[in-house]
This record gives sequence, structure tokens and C-alpha cells, in this order.
Amino acid sequence: MTESELRFFNRELSWLEFNQRVLEEAQNTSLPLLERLKFLAITASNLDEFFMIRVGGLQSLEARGSQTRDAAGMTPTEQLTAISERAHALTQSQYSCYLDQLEPAFADASIQRLRMNDLTAKQTQFVQQFFNSEVMSLVAPLAVESPDSFPTLVGNSISMCVRLERPSRSEDGNETRFVVLPFGRIPTRFVTLPSERTYSFVLLEELVERFVSEFFPKETVLECVAFRATRDADMAIREDLAGDLLQQMKQLLVERRESEFARLEIAQDASTEVIDFLKDCLGVEDRDVYRIPGPLDLTHFFQIADAGTGDGNRYEAWPPLPSPMVDPMESLFETISRQDVMLYHPYDSFAPVVRFVEEAAVDPDVLAIKQTLYRTSRNSPIVAALAKAAENGKHVTVVIELKARFDEARNIEGAKVLEQAGVQVFYGVKGLKTHAKLCIVVRREPQGIQRYLHFGTGNYNESTARIYSDVSLLTCDEDLGADAIAFFNSVTGYSMPQTMHGLSAAPITLRDRLAEMIEAEIQFKRQRQKSGITVKVNSLVDPQMIEMLYRASQAGVKVRLNVRGICCLRPGVPGLSDNIEVVSVVDRLLEHARILHFRHGGDDRVFISSADWMGRSLDRRVELLVPVQDDRSRHRLMEILECYFKDNVKGRRLQPDGTYKIPTKRGSSGLKMPAQEWLYREACRVSELAAQSRQAIFEPYRAPDQ
Amino acid sequence: MSNRRKQPEVTSTGGDLPSQPPRLVAVIDIGTSSIRMAIGEITADGQTRTVETLSQAVAIGRDTFTGRKISRSTIEGCVRVLSSYRVVLDSYGITSADQLRCVATSAVREAMNRLAFLDRIYIATQIQVEVLDESEVSRITFLSVQPELKADPLLSAARCFVVEVGGGNTEFLVVENGKVTFSHTCSLGSLRLRKMMESLDTPSRKEREFLENQIDRFVSQALQQAHTDDGLTTELIALGSDFRFAAEELAPGRAENTLATIPIKKLNDFVDRMLPISVDELVHDYHLTFPDAETLGPALLAMANIARRLNADQLRVSDVNLRDGLLTELANDDMWSGDYGEHVIGAAIDLGDKYAFEENHARHVAELSGKLFDALQMHHRLDARSRVMLILAALLHEIGMFVSLSGYHKHSMYLIQNSALFGLSRTDQQIVALVARYHRRASPKPTHIGYANLARQDRIVVSKLASILRIADSLDRSYSQRIRDFTCTVKKDRLIITVPGVDDLSLEQIALKQTAQLFEETYGLSVLMRRSQV
Repeated sequence: MTESELRFFNRELSWLEFNQRVLEEAQNTSLPLLERLKFLAITASNLDEFFMIRVGGLQSLEARGSQTRDAAGMTPTEQLTAISERAHALTQSQYSCYLDQLEPAFADASIQRLRMNDLTAKQTQFVQQFFNSEVMSLVAPLAVESPDSFPTLVGNSISMCVRLERPSRSEDGNETRFVVLPFGRIPTRFVTLPSERTYSFVLLEELVERFVSEFFPKETVLECVAFRATRDADMAIREDLAGDLLQQMKQLLVERRESEFARLEIAQDASTEVIDFLKDCLGVEDRDVYRIPGPLDLTHFFQIADAGTGDGNRYEAWPPLPSPMVDPMESLFETISRQDVMLYHPYDSFAPVVRFVEEAAVDPDVLAIKQTLYRTSRNSPIVAALAKAAENGKHVTVVIELKARFDEARNIEGAKVLEQAGVQVFYGVKGLKTHAKLCIVVRREPQGIQRYLHFGTGNYNESTARIYSDVSLLTCDEDLGADAIAFFNSVTGYSMPQTMHGLSAAPITLRDRLAEMIEAEIQFKRQRQKSGITVKVNSLVDPQMIEMLYRASQAGVKVRLNVRGICCLRPGVPGLSDNIEVVSVVDRLLEHARILHFRHGGDDRVFISSADWMGRSLDRRVELLVPVQDDRSRHRLMEILECYFKDNVKGRRLQPDGTYKIPTKRGSSGLKMPAQEWLYREACRVSELAAQSRQAIFEPYRAPDQ
Repeated sequence: MSNRRKQPEVTSTGGDLPSQPPRLVAVIDIGTSSIRMAIGEITADGQTRTVETLSQAVAIGRDTFTGRKISRSTIEGCVRVLSSYRVVLDSYGITSADQLRCVATSAVREAMNRLAFLDRIYIATQIQVEVLDESEVSRITFLSVQPELKADPLLSAARCFVVEVGGGNTEFLVVENGKVTFSHTCSLGSLRLRKMMESLDTPSRKEREFLENQIDRFVSQALQQAHTDDGLTTELIALGSDFRFAAEELAPGRAENTLATIPIKKLNDFVDRMLPISVDELVHDYHLTFPDAETLGPALLAMANIARRLNADQLRVSDVNLRDGLLTELANDDMWSGDYGEHVIGAAIDLGDKYAFEENHARHVAELSGKLFDALQMHHRLDARSRVMLILAALLHEIGMFVSLSGYHKHSMYLIQNSALFGLSRTDQQIVALVARYHRRASPKPTHIGYANLARQDRIVVSKLASILRIADSLDRSYSQRIRDFTCTVKKDRLIITVPGVDDLSLEQIALKQTAQLFEETYGLSVLMRRSQV
């Protein structure tokens, strides 16, 4: 192993390991069937994104002849080879999970996948009709004479490649030709069949295969196989060269359709002729061809998971709980002015965050609302509240990030709604993605201007807030308010960046602040004072940060990392990282919060952040690191962090060789249940306690003005 | 631990309305390389709190200091900045003119196309920009730093040398026992030096030498005038972003609202370290804004030079800035009647000392003038600021005797005109000079230079104040300060001054006859003095 390999894991391979952990949930027989199917669909959708962004990027680097080595010492070609090997194995595991475990159990959830040969007469009649009415009108066969005339395909959509034969006019036998049937954006992948009690379907591609000869009455269909091509999405957006950012983003959506292909998935039984033909047309290498033993595009099985029924096929519902810190009868501004409110979603309901903006929109004392938006939901109530606020004459300023991966179209739509309502909309900072989650409400109160702040680790998206675990901090702290305004003014160009006293922002001060905090722990350790670093992030990639953690470990500081996804740090290596422990929790909720805890000589500094520890987050994004000062919130966050390291069910430990293992020995210190379940039970307990104490007093309904 | 603002106490019985909500105001400072705005609140008891600060880069200094003119594109850049500030002002509901004060300093003041600049800004943004002259900047600087000096027991008793090395000018203020004893502004500017260096194409190895020479020339002149070489220990206090940066680097983690302390040795090492670093590297490695990076080197070097000449062993760095002073001024409508007026008067007495004035007489005439001014409030309807100017003129009316007895009132005038009088704008200083001049001999005439080119309202102020000064001076014609107490009554068209306890008033009465004419012409009142009937 080279020196760099010893110090770092390759990030792509580490990412594939993460997807492996998700797949393990799909393979886990103790989980409900439909949840396992969802996990499988997640691995497929993850892998699509991975190919579009990471593999696509590496391929263009390779194509440009780059020999640059990554932190783990691998060239693009070496990485692509290793990725291909791992991804092929992963794909095999996906399909053996699907074919051997999940599909055979479909009946338990009243789901039935039928093959064309199994259909009843009534069902056959139905599919024939479906083909004539839907498919014939929506699918146009496109003859491909040469690779140049290959049709433009919608990325990640399924198409069929048909090999045809017809008698030649010349004497020397028959001639073959290829035709492509792109399904494009046909909404139906699963054709629902008339059936009793059970949800029965056939796959569209199997249906088309059966009737495909009707497109070509004078020819013989030699072969008809489904394939799927994944495009490279990693377009460098050269902001300085193009003018209007919005315009540029609109162009990008179009451009995406014309970029190169990163992967070809094709039915396993395809002939060499078809595969060679497609490789030639799409410009992919053997390395990038994945022969699929089952249905293509497992992401579609989200739909099946939703359609399934039956007891015990889903997780027990965990409805978000009302936080005992928030009194639903009281204005949030009053609540926050009394004490900071910290919420851990989705255990704590996200509703107060929506209410925060909604209340601000109609509060007569509110002068202004300033907010960042990264990914919003469809029909977002927060966007609606912001628009309403502007209509009510408040000064509403929104920084909307158009470059949020794959969400551009929705964000552009949201931006238009806001602009029409009179909101001042900014489309982010040149060259940087605005990833910080911040909402400022400026309110005029009898004692003067007061600012109410919401800081988050997740997006302002109430739908994802039900499945992502994230922290919200609502406060009216004076210093943080001044910092937040200064930060917002710098993001919107109203002001040059100013010195901040509490917050740290990437790309200017966040990295330095983290370095200072880690350095301080090393000093505390040397002075034999309390030291220790506990960090929860989604990814740990940045070599500088990793080296600092190694330094801390070598100085004897205990470093505990809860990293859900990529982790390039190699833990437990003698002399390098003996004191570092890495735990990854993959469970029913997506771990998304970034929480940091430094012992700091017993002072216990706690932060929440929007930033992962990756180069892109620390240097190329606008991110925030927010100190949590309120004692109750601090201690709860420390307790939350703690429970992930006690999880002996879902808490997989990263090994020095890069694999992840669930600890076999269930020590007495461990929780009796997964961390997420423990957190939910704990939230229930606290919520019940609060409800009981509320019941102990009589609360009369008062007229609104009292 | 959390830093939240105190909620007003609300009693459960209700009924107590919270006191008047704070007034929202804003100040904008158009400087050499940036336009900065502070939004502030003023409470009913005159306390200020800064709510929001903004700063954007502009190239006014670069234009003025290299081409003596602000370029079109820079003007439009300023319009853009101020228009964006307008949006912020609107969000706070700061819309009326009395809530906003916008000032410009040396870079605009020295631009040949200053008026075109001001007009364009006004047309585009409806913001009235007020160009401050040097002494006004000193006054506002003093207002900003004064609370910090007062709050520190050591500094409030010490001699403080307050220095702000700005982009265009350097300001010196000496504050002793809380009083301003010296103020001086010279055109030693950090940005000015940088631009000069660039236009002369100074090779980088000569940069430091060039800067040292320039700085040395200005600093030696300034310190000579300050007369601080009397062996008293001096506390050196620096203002400005360059030194705030130095303090963050060299003395991090100090408590808020306290001055940072940097040992001079550390400062010198820091200067040696920072000076060779290029502007681009400063921006990149130290996260400075470009304008701050440009001025850092020259400003640090200038301060090191001043520290050396003052033999200071430490530098204190204050966080305050011009905007703080402007906010304080907005908060204190009646500033001139308070502490601040005293500071201005204190500085004038020091000037009088310099010209060996007869202090007892001067102070007495000033006191009598003040009494008359107050008694005649209903007739002149002037404000506290005019009162301070009258006092200054009274204190300084005879300093011309230092030059020559003949026509000394004219000597008084030009000495006042050409002295650095702390706290007064150019116009104010001109008024004081003219009032001193007209305390005897000729009445104001349109042909008199300096008087003729005053605005009408200022000419009226001169006449009103000069006629009061003439009467006050007559009352101490004996130079014995024997008339201390008097009452004034106005009956019909006569002002009757009744003096108790003095038997023989003939000297003063004769003097009055000679001097009261201007008063009669100005106020329409003849003056009669009599002993009080016991």
C-alpha cells in the first residue's frame, strides 16, 4: 500500500460502500418487505446519481488524458476500473436481492408480477388494447443507420433496441438493421392488469417485446431487448462567461440531454450484436456495460412499494411529535424571546419551522424576512408564506439556489412565484452554491428592532423533513442576529463580508474555525484537561480536515465520528488514527444533521452546521457553522450525538480495511435498540410528560386580545 | 449564556405602557474606498444601538487621489451602492430625511467635480450628501471615541493621543482629562500613499523607504504642533479597520466594547511581517476585503512611526468609527448645550493661551455674553450651537493683540480663521472669526471680505452675536470683572440692564453708548443700563 492509500480511502469506493450499507437494509430479512423494496429502489437511484455525477466526471477527466491522482493515490483510470468492479458486484447483489428474496415474497403484500405467458385471456386482450392505444401512439421507432443517427435519449429512461431482418434486394441473402424504440417519458412502467384482490402488473418492456412485430409488418424481429443509458451530468457551469444565471440554468437542462454516457444497462440475454451496436452508438466501453438479470431501473419499484398492502409490510408509523418547547397557543416570537428552541426532526415536528415563516408573513410588527432556499417541496408552504409576506408589504429577500442538484426546474418555478409576489430574489453567489440554511425575521418591538433566527442543517422542505433527521435552532440571540444579517448581506451583495462574532461561514472562515477548534482540543489534551471531538456529518472527504483529525488522534484526543456516507479517513491505524472511531448509521430515516461537539477543557462547545467536511462544502459553497449556546439545547444535542455511538444494531463501524461491521459483542453500554428508535421513544416519552403536566392545569379559552 | 436582550418588565396588572419605542435612524459615510452604512436605534433617553452595518467597495479615493476627479463609472458605482442601501432603509421604514444622515469625507471633498457628484447622487437616490470638512470629521471622531475614553478609568485621567489613519487623511486628537486640547488633520492617507506609490511606479524593494519618508514628514509636523514633548506619558489610541485587523491578529479574544492592547514591539514585528505581503495575498490568505488590504501596509507603518515618536510602549485599538459618532450626534439634538459644547470651549481656551490672552477678562466677557444670550432668547431665537460660537468669539475676541494693538480685532479674526479650532465646521469658524472682528469698530458691511460671501442666515447670526458681544465687552470695560450679576428687561423698544451692587457705572455707560448702535440696528432695541433700586 502506498503512503497515500494508507492515509485515505478513495472517495468513490467509499461511496459505493455506503450504497452497500443501504443494500444491506434491503437484504435484511428482519425488515418489513415493502421497506426492503424501498431500500432497494434507493440503492438504484443512488447509483444512477453516482454514475451521472461522479463516474461521468471521472470519465471526462480520463478522456482529457488526466493522470492526476486523488488523495488515495489513484488516477482516473484506476478509479474507474475499481469502480466498475465494485459497481458490477453491487448490481449483482441488487438483483439477487430482488429476484431471490423480494419478488418471490410479493404475494405477501398482495402484489403480483406477471409474465406475458401467464396472462389470462381477459388480461391478454387488455394488454393488446393497451399496446394499440398507448404504445403505438407514444412510441416512434427510429431507424439507426449509423452511430451519428442514433436518437437523443432522455437520460436514465428505458428504450428497446430491435434487431430486424428483411430479405435483401440483392442476391446475397438477408440484411439486418437496428431500430430504437425510446420510451422517453411514457409515464407507465408497470402496466396494471385487470385482476381480483391483488395488484397485478406486467413490465412495459415485456409487453412491447410481445407486440413489437406490429411496428414492422414486413420484417422479422430477430431480437428485442430493453436497455438504459445513464448520462454524464457533471457540467461545469462557467458563471463568469455566461450572463444571466437563470438563463444559463435553463440552458443546462437542455444541454444535459446532449452529454456523454456514463453507463449502459442492458438485459442479460442481449446478443453480442446488439451490445456491440449500442456500445458503438453510445460510445461506452466494456467497463461501463452492465448486463442486468432482471427488470431494468429498480428506482421504479418505489411505486410498487407504495402500491403494496398487508400488515407488517411497513414500518410502524412514527408520526412527528409536537416539541414540548413550543406552545401551540403562543406566538413563536414570544416563545423564542423567552428561550432558544432546538428541534431534532423528524422526531420533533417540522411544523414550528413552517409556522415561524407563516407567522412572520402576517405579523404586523414584522418588517422583513430574509431566507435562503436550497431545495423546496412542490407547493411549498414556506414559499407560499414568503409570497404572502411580500404581498402584505414586508420586505422579503430570498436567496434561491438554482444549482441544487437535479432540482433546478422546481427551484426556477418557485423563484418565479416569489418574484411575481414582489419578493426580492437572488440567485446565489457567483461561483458558489448557497447551501446554508437560514431564515431571519426582523421585527419591530417596543424595545427596538429584534431579530428572530432559524438555523437548520436541512432544507426548508417539509416533505423531506419527515424522513431526514435534521436540527433546527430558533433563537433571538443578539450576536447571532447581527452575524446572520451581515452574512445575508454579504450573500446578497448588499455588503462586503464583515467580521462575525458567533457564526462562521464557508468559504471564508469556516475551515479556519474548525481548525482552531481541533487545535484547541490538542492543546487541552496536552494540558491534561478534558478533550475530545465528536462530529456528525454526512461525508468526510477533505484531506486537510482528515489530517487534522489524525493529528488530534496522535496527540491522544479521542475522536468519534458519525459519518453516514463517504468517509475517506482510515480509522484504527496504529500510529495514525488509533484514537478515531467511525460509526455509520443507515436506518429508516436518512441521517442528515451535522452536529459538532468539542470538549474544550470541559466547556463543551456544540455547533450545528450545513456543511459536510468535503472540499466542495468548505471551499466552494456558502455554508454556516452555528454555535449552540443555550444550555438545554446543547445538552440535548450532546445526548443525541452520544446515542449513535451506542447503536449496536444499525451503527456499523468502519474497519481499517474500509469495510463496515456491526459490532458482534453487545456491550452493556450499548442501547437495546437502534439509535433512531431510541430517539423516537425518547421523544415520545418527553412529549407525553409535557402533555401530562399540561393536563394538570386548567387552561381557559381566552378572547384573542387578552 | 445566551445573549438575549432584556424584555421590558410587564406588570401583570397591565396598564403600564412601554415607553416610547426607539427611533430608527441611519448614517452613511462615503469614504475613500468604501461606502458604509449603519442602521441604528435611538432610545428615548438618548442611548444608541447599532442594528445593522453594511459596507461596499467604491473607487472614489483611487480616482481623486490619482486624477483629482471622480470618474463617471465610479459615480455610477456609488449610485448603485446607495440605491441598494435605499432598499435596506425602506425595509426598516427609514424614509424621512431627518432619519438619515449621509456624509462624505476627503475623497469627495478634494474631487474637482464634487458638485456634479453630489447632484448626481441626489438625482438618482434623493440622498443629500453632506461633505464634511476636516474639523467636522475631528468633532465626529471625538464623539465616537469619547464614551470609550470616559468608561476607562485609566484613559479618562490620562493624556490620550487618538489617531485615525484614514484613506485620505490622518486625524490627530489629543484628549486630556476628557478635554480636547489639540486637533489636527493632515493629508497623510493610507490609500493616498498607496496610489502615490503606484503612480510613481515605486519598485517594490523601495516601497518601504518611500512610505517611511512620506509618513515621517507628515508625522513630525503634526507632532511638533501638538506640543506633547513635555515628558507626560501618553496613551496612543488607534481607530480604523487596519488596526482592528491588527488587534484581531495580535490580541485576539478580548471582551467586547473594550480597547485591545498591542505592545509596540509586537506591532513593529507585525508591520515587518505584513508590509511585504501583496494586496492579492492579503485578500486570499487573510480574508481581508480588497479595500482593506490596500490600506493595511501604509496605515500600519504610519502608526508605527507615530508610536516611535511618542515613545509609546503600547497601542490601544478602539472599535469605534465615524458612524458611531454620527449616530451619537443624531441622538443628541441638543449636543451643543451639553458636554460637547464644553469640549469646544476648552479647546478655544487652549488657543487663547497660545496667544497670551487675558484669560480673566476673556472668560468674564464670555460669561456675560452667555447671560445676555439667554436673556434675549425670545428676541434672537438662536440655538445652542450659536451660543457656543458666541462664547468662543468672546473668549478669543482679543487674541489679535498678540500680533499688534492697532486694529487688533482684525488680527483676532484672521488668527481664528487660520487656527485649528476643534469641533467647528468651516462656516462656524468663519462666523466665530467675524463675531470677534465685529466686537468693536465698524459694523458688518457688504464690502467686508468674508462677511459678504456668507449665506444670509449666517450673516444675520454674525450681527446678532456681534452686537451681544459688544455689550458684554462694554460691561467689563473696567477689566475688573466687577459686574457679575445683572437682569435684563425689555420694555417697549428698550433693553434695560439693571446692575446691582455697583455704585458707579459711568465707565460702562460711556462704553455702551459707543457700542450699542449695532445692537439697536439689529434688534431694534436701544440699550439702557442702570443701578438697581435697593
